[in-house]
Amino acid sequence: MKDLTIRNLSKTYFDPYAGTNVTAVHDVSLKVEQGEFVCIVGPSGCGKTTILNMIAGFIPHTGGEILVGGRPVKGPGADRGVVFQSFALFPWRTVLENVAFGPKMRGVRKVEREKIAHEYLALVKLTEAAGRYPAELSGGMQQRVGVVRALANEPDVLLMDEPFASVDAQTRMTLQEELTRIWQEKRPTVIFITHDVAEAVFLGNRVIALSKGRVLEEISVDLPRPRSWDALNDDARFKELSGRVLQLVRSA
Amino acid sequence: MKQFLLKFWGHCVRLTARWPSIGSIAPFIPVIAAWWIVTELQIFPRVFLPGPMEVVRSFGSLVYTGILPAYLQDSIVRLAVGTFWGIALGIPLGILLGLSQRARTALWPLLLFFQAIGDIAWLPILVIWFGYGLTTITVVIVYTVIFPVVLNTVLGVRSTPITLHRAAQSLGASRIRILWEVVLPGALPNIVTGLRNGLSYGWRALIATEIIVGTSGIGFLMFDARRSGSVVEILLGMIILGILWYIVDSWILAPIERATGQRWGLVTR
Repeated sequence: MKDLTIRNLSKTYFDPYAGTNVTAVHDVSLKVEQGEFVCIVGPSGCGKTTILNMIAGFIPHTGGEILVGGRPVKGPGADRGVVFQSFALFPWRTVLENVAFGPKMRGVRKVEREKIAHEYLALVKLTEAAGRYPAELSGGMQQRVGVVRALANEPDVLLMDEPFASVDAQTRMTLQEELTRIWQEKRPTVIFITHDVAEAVFLGNRVIALSKGRVLEEISVDLPRPRSWDALNDDARFKELSGRVLQLVRSA
Repeated sequence: MKQFLLKFWGHCVRLTARWPSIGSIAPFIPVIAAWWIVTELQIFPRVFLPGPMEVVRSFGSLVYTGILPAYLQDSIVRLAVGTFWGIALGIPLGILLGLSQRARTALWPLLLFFQAIGDIAWLPILVIWFGYGLTTITVVIVYTVIFPVVLNTVLGVRSTPITLHRAAQSLGASRIRILWEVVLPGALPNIVTGLRNGLSYGWRALIATEIIVGTSGIGFLMFDARRSGSVVEILLGMIILGILWYIVDSWILAPIERATGQRWGLVTR
């Protein structure tokens, strides 16, 4: 695990329909320490997914720099694991093969990489599902696989792009609790993108409110861990923090 | 005769109960029965429309003399050789066109132009170039098989979600690995569809080619029978075509489809 530094990051592209240049991300700077959990929250179209795609190297940035452990990002790489909103599991691979995919690409031997995959599947209680295909699993189970597939490759930074946006509300709460538990156990460096203010406050050490491609404010979340919804639902501090972030995001 | 049929029927019922797949033969029973009744009623002269039993008898004698097995083998080998090359050339070309915008711009118009020149339309010039042999037949079949394979492969490659490419990239897959791990399996259900279309067109092209340039094969058998005025053998040839296609589809193509696209949840059952 390593730290992540973003300096004056910006993204401008030409919009052929409007006929003008559009700036989706405007001079964003951010420092994520090793083992930190940072949430970026903002409404649709605020540029949060664009930021994540640039960190992942899926799209090029047009200004500033992104450094992972001091090294500049040039295209996608195994040092940055990604969890997608649409899960993006390989439909033609079993759950076990999906989780073992990263180690396989690194050239880890079959016995070894399957052992790794089994360990990570046990972490999300999916040992039973190892031999099944993704299409045979529920959305919540698929995203558990998505999370451990990224983790099993031991990336320096874990990038999560609204990973729980397409599962139902109850499953989402369970997944959020599981994620905090896994994070405490493995302590990966995480950047978590979401539009859900409560989710951001629940998960993060720090919440970054974003609007129209600019950072509005950074808020430290000093809630104790382990966190659970049962404890935090009526917690005064949680409510205060969520209220503040919500106000920021809505007022912009 | 009546007793034999009854016994035969009883046998069929027991067989179907044991192997349900024989149930797929059932739809043909009324068709054969109708055919049999029409010929028994002598609505058309026997020479023009022989009955099922005569066709079965002709089948027996052609198998006995060894003509039918030899012709059948010739036709199947030709189709297999042509299909092999159609796939071997079509899938890589389809992947190239699916992945590269530049290749698409350069080759798409050519592809459509040559697709318009039907397979049989090539026969006159192919006969001049290659004569009446396997080469001519193979070229025609490759030509027929390749278009549906290429077009469907392109569709399959382009309809694979970009997130799967991205997932593979951020898990450390090289471009070559992505080709094998994402592009090819992602396109496979469409490739099978293309193969199914390609084979069915190829099969028809083969028969047509055999009729024109053949010296053996099922198409030649039928054309030869026409020359000698044997309607029985023409009918036999037609029936064999139908049965063979059914076998290719249900023993080769359908199992591939079940093991891939359906199993992965990419195609509905």
